[in-house]
Formats: sequence, structure tokens, C-alpha cells
Amino acid sequence: MPETSRWWEWEIKTETSWLGVSFRELYSYKDLLFRLVRKDFLSSYHQTLLGPFWVVFQPLLTVITYVIVFHTVINISTEGIPAFLYYLIGITLWNLFSNTLLNTSHAFLQSASIFGKVYFPRLIAPFSILLLNLLRFGIQLLLLLFVAAYFYIFKHLEFNFIRLLIFVPVIIITAGIGFGAGLIFSIITVKYKDILNLLELFIRLLMFVCPVFYSIALVPEKVKWLVYINPLSSQFELFRFAFLGKGSFDLIQILYALVFMIFLLFAGIFIFNKWSDRLIDVV
Amino acid sequence: MSNIVIQAENISKLYRLGTIGTGSLRRDIQNWWLTRVLKKEDPYFKSDTHDKNYLWALKNVNFEIREGEAWGIIGRNGAGKSTFLKILSRIVKPTKGSVRGRGKISSLLEIGTGFHEDLTGRENIFISGNILGMNKREILKKFEEIVDFSGIEAFLDTPVKRYSSGMYVRLAFAVAAHMEPDILIVDEVLAVGDAEFQRKCLGKMKDDSTKTGRTVIFVSHNLQAITNLCSQALWLEKGQVNATGEVRSVVNKYLGSDMKASWKQEFTNIKQAPGNDLIRVLLFELVIGDSSPMAHIDIRTPLTVKYKFWNFTDNITLAVGIHLFTLDGDCIFDVSHTPAFYQKGILEGECQIPGWFLNDGSYYFSIIFVKDSSEVLYYYEEGLHFEVEDFRENMNWYGKWMGTVRPHFPVTLRQVESKNLEIK
Repeated sequence: MPETSRWWEWEIKTETSWLGVSFRELYSYKDLLFRLVRKDFLSSYHQTLLGPFWVVFQPLLTVITYVIVFHTVINISTEGIPAFLYYLIGITLWNLFSNTLLNTSHAFLQSASIFGKVYFPRLIAPFSILLLNLLRFGIQLLLLLFVAAYFYIFKHLEFNFIRLLIFVPVIIITAGIGFGAGLIFSIITVKYKDILNLLELFIRLLMFVCPVFYSIALVPEKVKWLVYINPLSSQFELFRFAFLGKGSFDLIQILYALVFMIFLLFAGIFIFNKWSDRLIDVV
Repeated sequence: MSNIVIQAENISKLYRLGTIGTGSLRRDIQNWWLTRVLKKEDPYFKSDTHDKNYLWALKNVNFEIREGEAWGIIGRNGAGKSTFLKILSRIVKPTKGSVRGRGKISSLLEIGTGFHEDLTGRENIFISGNILGMNKREILKKFEEIVDFSGIEAFLDTPVKRYSSGMYVRLAFAVAAHMEPDILIVDEVLAVGDAEFQRKCLGKMKDDSTKTGRTVIFVSHNLQAITNLCSQALWLEKGQVNATGEVRSVVNKYLGSDMKASWKQEFTNIKQAPGNDLIRVLLFELVIGDSSPMAHIDIRTPLTVKYKFWNFTDNITLAVGIHLFTLDGDCIFDVSHTPAFYQKGILEGECQIPGWFLNDGSYYFSIIFVKDSSEVLYYYEEGLHFEVEDFRENMNWYGKWMGTVRPHFPVTLRQVESKNLEIK
């Protein structure tokens, strides 16, 4: 009888480690991860009129509303950029953030019944939500690139390929902040379900604090601090800069956003791992 | 002797009853301040077993399971069987203790976990397979077999919400049955599905454990299925291990213990006996009717109900009625004798119930005392509780037998003529 501890391949203890599972184990569940993404993508457009086209209709409809409200009626400056493109850029990035945050914050409650019946690394569930949102964002980004290409070619907007690549780190930081915060909220909302309502309200308000349909340059000096403490502000300016070559940001703001993202992401993953095992007893 | 693949040391699980969490943010913060900052005892988490808000679902459970063994977990409702499986399946964490093991575990605690109603059978085979721990390659390899096993080939591209419940269960189980873990954990999932399919599933599980040397841990209320499938058994009672060992001996011990205490109610003190100024019960007893060596009641067992009581009235026209109820409260029978004339003193009687009458299940007797065929003098309710176990011979089916009674009426089947038939 092998008595050495090397004989045992796994051990179930009373507490979970902060990291939850090893990367090797997480990786071994990659098929499940992609399957869940596929399942959610297929099922969310099942028995709908327009199906997956909603992914692009939704931002288009929003942009049209914004053009009417903010451009035609209120007439907020778009820095000489065609309003349609200007708003589409902001909304595409905003959708990535708000959907990632909101969907991830449902991750635990949504999967609680499965968590209670079968084991797999719990992180797989929020990761699949993140991937699904990145997938939808990818489609919306394609739409944005098409629209931008139209303006580059026919409206003689200045095009710079290297500059355009800035959107890659912007996407990572924005999605990272949304995901990290979503993980934390997914745990809090198990205990206090009303937080979900507050969160939705908070996200709606946050949109007005983010330079989604205006530029930081337009913000009065008196309330600029509000924009500066918001780590997302610089990301919206950067994202616009990538497409249009216009935006106000500095290095400090970008570093601040990066550190903020890393902190939230680790905090989110740790909290989710540590608490999901305790919460499974109470849901 | 083969190797140990699972070893549990002192696993215990404490559940908090009632509301989720401590109920409010204020109490949570207060609690956190006391325990984490001031390092005091958690006021909401006492390890006091007498506290009615906490329940030890499992307490100090130790066991070892060797490679290739098939274990049956038995015990009454609430004995901790499901908690036990959930800890082994890594779904919940034990409050104390640890489990060490070797090899891949797959658990089947529910039929169709992760199924999505709107998606097709084909999609759901992959979803369910992935969730149960198979990877895409394994599912692809087994796909034909799974479809064959479930017999739903024609509906593979139909959303599962349009399936009949039988088809749904068959598909769900077919996926699960084709997992190839080293250790398979199965909760009571065979209660669903039709008889033929149950037989097929049990057959497959048995094959797996005997031929491929898979370790199986199986929970069921169906002791027939347990004895048939398992080699070892573990009997849990109120969260603790009552007996482990060879399946037959454990099952017999379990059956023997079956609430014997409640089979006899005797009240020798006339003042404390249940009743009133007219009637007081002295004895209410269930006796196994024949000389069979069985210490438990199964569907074959004849039963005798004996009763003895004090009658405080002279010259009374009295009748005693015996009522038998199922645990759900349905009355199965109400029997009595011809009312007759009695005097003050102690009276006794009995009622005999033949074997092959009741189906398996939980029942209780009540006794009623009636004067002049109309006036109820006393009704002693839910006096004797007992359980009837199932018994089957020459039968390959382990599902719940329908009906409240299980009589042995002669049923025949004859061939009237034999010829080739064709339906056009």
C-alpha cells in the first residue's frame, strides 16, 4: 500500500485556496468553457426575429437615438467629427464595459443550480460570460471598423494604422475592469440581491460620467476631478484617439487605469474563488 | 487487495438552518468585527449541537474505498447521504476533516444537469457531456453510442423542450452513462424513467464496475438495487456511520433496526396512559405474524396488531376499529368487529393482516374506540409506525412498484394462437 503523499492526486479540504484551482486544471476544462459560450450565444438568439443580428442592431439603434438627442436636439460638440461615427465609437466601448460588468455580476446566481449539482472550476462560468461578451464586442467592433472605413475613404478622415492598434490595450483594460468588478458583484449579490438593482442604476449613471458621447475637453474645470478619478475616462479618450486622432489624456491617467484594472481583476478572481465554495451552502 | 482510492478522515458538515447568511448587512459587519478583528467567538456560529439553528448533516465520518469496489450508501431521509455525495463530488466543502483520493471523479446527482431547453438534443449531448467532465474528443468518440443508447435518433435536431419527459430522461442518462471516470458517484437518479430503461442503466453501471474495474458509489432508497449492484455498503444514521462492510450484512442490520421501538407501545401506569375518563390504552403493538426469522417487514410479512385497554364504563356496547394509513395520510382500510356488550375492566383483541397485502412504503396504525356504533369515545392516532420493504424475485426491474396494495392475485397470460402477423 503506497503510504506516501504522492499517491493522492487530489484532496478536499475545508477551505479553498485563493486561486481556487491550478491553471492546469482550469485549462483542462477549456472544452466546457467554449461549450458554455456557444450555448449562451445560441440560446440567447433562439426564437427571435432577427437572431444574432441583434448584436449589431442594438448599437446602431442606440447611436441613432443619440444622434437625434445629443446632436440634433441638444447639440453637444463632437469636435468636428461626424456625430454618427463619434457616438458609435463611444457606445461600442461602453457596451463592452457595461455588458461585461452586468452579465458577470449575474454569474454566480445564474449558475448556482448547476454549481449545486456538479463540480467544475467555478471560474469557468464567469470566464464563459467574459468570452461571450468579447465575442459580441468583436462583432460590434467589425461594424465599427466598417463604418470607420467608410468615413476614411469617402469623408477623407485621417487614417493611421499604428494609431488604430491602440484599441487593443484599451479593450483589455476596459473588459478587465468590467470583469473584475462583475466578479466581486456576483458574490455580493448572492447575499444581498437588491444590490443588482443598485448596480443597474449605478451603471446607467456611470455612463454620464464617462466621456461616451462628449469629450473630456468639454468638461468644466470645476467637475473635472470626477472625470479624473474615473479610470474609464482615459480609456474612452484613448479609444477615440485610436480611430480619430483626437483625445485628451495623459500617461498618469493611463497608468492609473492599468493599475486599477490589475487590482480589480485579482481581487475579483480571489474573492470569487474564496466565496463561491462557501456560498454554495446558502443559495 | 487493491489500492485505496478514496480516504476520508473525520469529515463533518455543519449547516445553518433558516435564513441565508446572517440576514442583514449590519449583523454581518458586527459579526466580522467580532470574529476577525477582535478575535472573539462568532456569536452566530456556535459549535453547540444543541443549538436548533444548526444541523450537523455529517459528523466525523471516516471511510476508505478501494479501487473497483461498488459502494451503496443507505440511510433514512436526512441521514446525510446527499451531503456525503456532495462533499465527495467537490460540490460543497466539509466543515471539518478532509478527503484524499486518486483518479478522476464524475458525479451524477441529477438527471440532465446543464441541459438547455431551447437547444437541440445534439447540442445538449455536448453541453451535458462537457459539464459532466468529458472533453469534446471523448464525446465525439462516444456520440454514436450515446444516441443509440438513448434511442432518440429521430429527434436529435429537435429542441429538447419538445421531448416527452421519458425521452428527456433517456437522453440525459445516456450521456451520463458514457462517462469514463475512475470513480463514479450516482445519487438516486434511477427513480425516473421507464422500467426498461432503468434496467438498461443499472445493467450498464454494473458492467462498468465489474468489467472495467470502475469504483462506484451509489445512493438509493431501493435496497434491492443496492444489494444487486454493490459489493459494500455504508449505513448513515443522523450524519454518522452506523455500519460499513459487506452489502448484505449492512442492509440486514439496517432493516433490522427499522423502528422496532415504535412497534410496541405499552402503558403500565394507568394515570399516564393515553386516553380519557372512559378509555385508556394499555398496549398497542405490532407483531410479525409468523415464525419467520426476518427481523424486518417486507411485503411478504403477515402482521398482527395487538391491543389492550382499560374500559371504565359498565354495560357498554363497544367496538374497536383499526385504521391503517399511508404516511401521506390516505386511509387504506378501516376494520372493526361486531359491536358487543362489555363490562368495566381490561379488554384485549387483535387484528391480523396477511402477507402479500401491502406494497412497500411507510404506514401507521390508529385505533378508535366507539360506543353504540356512533359515539367516538377515544381515537388514538398515529400509534404504530412501520415501514414495509420491497421484495422481488426473478425480476430485473427496480423501479417503484405502483399502488398501495400489492396482492398476489392470480394473473395469467396464454397464447391463443400463433401465426405471423403483419400490420399494414
